[in-house]
Amino acid sequence: MAFLTPLALAGAALAIPIILLYMLRLRRREVIVSSTFLWQQVLQDSEANTPWQRLRRNILLLLQLIILALLVFALARPFMIVPAVSAGQIELLVDASASMNATDLPDGGSRFEEAKRQALSIVDTLGAGDTVTVIRVADVPTVVIPATDDRVTLRAGINALQPGLAEADWVAALTLAAADAAGAQQASIVIIGDGGLGDAEGLPGIPGEIRYVPVGVSDSNLAISALATRALPGQPPQLFAQITNYGSQDADVIFDLRVDGALFTARRYTVPAGQSLPLVSESLPDGFGILQAGLTRPTDSRVPDYLAADDTAWAVAAEGGARRVLLMTAGNLFLEQALRSLPGIQAFRGDINRPLPAEPYDLYIFDGWLPPGNLPDGDLLFVNPPGNTALFTVGAESTATANPTVRRDDPRMAFVDFDDVNVLKFKRIIGADWAETLIAVEGGPLLLAGETGGRRAAILTFDLRESDLPLQITWPVLMANLLEWFTPQAVVSAPDGLLVGQTMAIRPAAGAAQVRLTLPDGSTRALPVDRETLAFAETGAPGIYRVDVLGENGLMQSARVAVNLFAPGESAIAPRSSLSLSGATITPSARDEIGQREFWPLAALAALLVLLVEWYVYHRRLRVRTMFRPALRQREVMG
Amino acid sequence: MADERLFDETTRRKLEQLMLVARRVRAGAMKGERRSTKRGTSIEFADYRNYVRGDDLRRLDWNIYGRLERPFIKLLEDEEDLAVHLILDVSASMDWPQEGERDRNKFLYARRLFAGLAYMALATNDRLTLLATSDSTAAPFGPIRGRGFGLPMLAYVGGLKAAGITDLNAALKDYALRAGRPGLCFIISDLLMPGGYQDGINRLLGRGYEVGLIHILSPDEIEPPLGGDLRLVDVETGQGQEVTIDAGMRDLYIKRLEAWRDGIRADCVRRGVHYVGVDTGVPWEKVILFNLRRLGAVK
Repeated sequence: MAFLTPLALAGAALAIPIILLYMLRLRRREVIVSSTFLWQQVLQDSEANTPWQRLRRNILLLLQLIILALLVFALARPFMIVPAVSAGQIELLVDASASMNATDLPDGGSRFEEAKRQALSIVDTLGAGDTVTVIRVADVPTVVIPATDDRVTLRAGINALQPGLAEADWVAALTLAAADAAGAQQASIVIIGDGGLGDAEGLPGIPGEIRYVPVGVSDSNLAISALATRALPGQPPQLFAQITNYGSQDADVIFDLRVDGALFTARRYTVPAGQSLPLVSESLPDGFGILQAGLTRPTDSRVPDYLAADDTAWAVAAEGGARRVLLMTAGNLFLEQALRSLPGIQAFRGDINRPLPAEPYDLYIFDGWLPPGNLPDGDLLFVNPPGNTALFTVGAESTATANPTVRRDDPRMAFVDFDDVNVLKFKRIIGADWAETLIAVEGGPLLLAGETGGRRAAILTFDLRESDLPLQITWPVLMANLLEWFTPQAVVSAPDGLLVGQTMAIRPAAGAAQVRLTLPDGSTRALPVDRETLAFAETGAPGIYRVDVLGENGLMQSARVAVNLFAPGESAIAPRSSLSLSGATITPSARDEIGQREFWPLAALAALLVLLVEWYVYHRRLRVRTMFRPALRQREVMG
Repeated sequence: MADERLFDETTRRKLEQLMLVARRVRAGAMKGERRSTKRGTSIEFADYRNYVRGDDLRRLDWNIYGRLERPFIKLLEDEEDLAVHLILDVSASMDWPQEGERDRNKFLYARRLFAGLAYMALATNDRLTLLATSDSTAAPFGPIRGRGFGLPMLAYVGGLKAAGITDLNAALKDYALRAGRPGLCFIISDLLMPGGYQDGINRLLGRGYEVGLIHILSPDEIEPPLGGDLRLVDVETGQGQEVTIDAGMRDLYIKRLEAWRDGIRADCVRRGVHYVGVDTGVPWEKVILFNLRRLGAVK
């Protein structure tokens, strides 16, 4: 045992004033009594019977001296030399990935709690001059405590750490640690975790010594490793799920599926060790919104499932994915190219000599052709209609195509410039009262668009080949605007959901003012719409995220996004016995450095306890003294 | 202190109906109000006996002689007085407690008892001698007799002051030597004196006194309200005693006090001394009307 601040031992000299004060204090209060006759006898009795009576009288002094001794001892900061993991400037990387939530420790605690204990133990054995930087390694590694030797700060910071539910970004974490350790004389990086550095294993040039403190004992874990739904047109939605047993024992598990919160099915499966069990169901009900799949360990199963975070997965009903567009034309390269160049469009070309296909499409484009009989259900774009339909009547052709005017205030006409477009002739359209004129020339409208009968329809009244519009830059802009109007893109394009920690890209519709996100825990976040695509990165928890796009007049669009932990690297919780980094293998480190374990808190605690005893003893005397004070004649001796 | 009445009218009347009783001392010298065991000259009839020569013919019962023609002498009861001695300890320790409820002051309490007993003695025409002593040099008040001395007696008792140190042994021995007729002697004291009292009482007993000891203590002497590191100063001697009083020490004191009182009581019983231990928390009349009556010293 040695002392960090041995000078503090000089404080023992305070015992002298204490003894002096005690002697002064013992100038007793003088109290007049009727007779001391009996007291003298009592004193003779008590001194004869109890030789330690004199000592007892001084017990307060004794206690005070003990308190002083303990406090001086604590202030001198006594320590013992103990083996330590590391010394110098220590970069403490605490794995906070999803797998650290596994509760496979013998006491039922989680790996993260054990990691915190290990981190605290390293802090406890810090030598003089050692500093520690604590980095929490989650999807976004953060420096929790910058380099310090203040153990109180370190302990508080480590105790406040919480595990995440995402994959750890070890590349970023090691880069952060390396940057912090650069330039230090004796730097070391201590990784506390369950192993698996992923892409970081090949990271070169990590400075200093790397040490590894493994956490975790078991590999037993079952996970839902995939969950998705697909709906082909005209067919009931399909479910695809996969259960993976990452453990080394065959395991029974109950797979339950909830559709919009109601239990749909629950079955028991046996998943062989280290293998996956695909599940496909074709009998999902139509029109569902959210699927929730869960794994439950049967009561008779002896194979534990230590990680709960991957036992639940969510899926949102597929919303059709890409928009299906059917082009009926005798041949129009401009249209075909425009459709091909637009994202999110699945274009089909039909044969005008055969009837329309039976399967539904989101949008039908009739170019100089009209279907015989009724118009199909779905949105319609007529280009140079050859004849009358139920929606309009075609009138005479006109060549008065001068002075084109464009409705600038309409979002469908954004960036559309018709000043340089030349049109040879167009057809007058009659009876299309449901439509607004978006582009007009002297002779009449060139483009009409509107809603009728629950669908959207637009009419381009001229033949594209009789104008130079397809050669202008306005053409793809116009088509993109129109198609966006016909079938707007999904707010969030993530048909298979997102992984925990992935950024959510939100594309609100034009005119949106605010995006409101509702997280799985019920809390909400509001994002102002200040750009076309908003990014939302707070996807640290698995579950269903609701995205509401709010316009000036209320809700415009709404979507739900499933965020799941489909991370094999996290679900495979088998702890690694060694790490490989930069081509080297790092085995769990023995405590071969020298650390100092201080134990002044024990001395301080003991001092506090003795102080309590001293207070009790003093109070006991005081109580007897003051209980009858009013009946006494007491005289304090001054000086 | 002059305005503190020793007793009121009601108490005085009660006292007038009582008298002090001595069981052993019967040495009456003057006519009193007590029936004597001796035949005497009062009007109370006692017995008859045959006439013998030399008897006073005035005491012959002529009515019997006329009826029976035989001479009988009528014996009448004699009435005698009792010598009553009251000794009060007026040492400084008796004037305690000096604060708090005045009725609990030992000296006031003792003087009330003192005056009460004296008044009873005067009321029964006994020969009363009062001694307020703190040492052997004090002069007794009396002897006096008869109710006519009631007021001087009360003035004397009312004017007493507690001061000085009492050597009770010396005072009692001296009194035993100097006092005239032995009789019933009551000593009122707190007995808080290192010299003791036994020798003095022995001397009184040896002279034929019947002794009663009224031992007065105040409540705060019985359970002292003290605690802490103290220097106790004796109000009587001025001597200091350092003591650290905690709960254990108080218990020791209380046990010691009990043992002390028990020792005095046992000693008194052995010698045939009336012992009354009194706490000034108890009304003083009760001591006369109850405690002394029970002992047979008052009826």
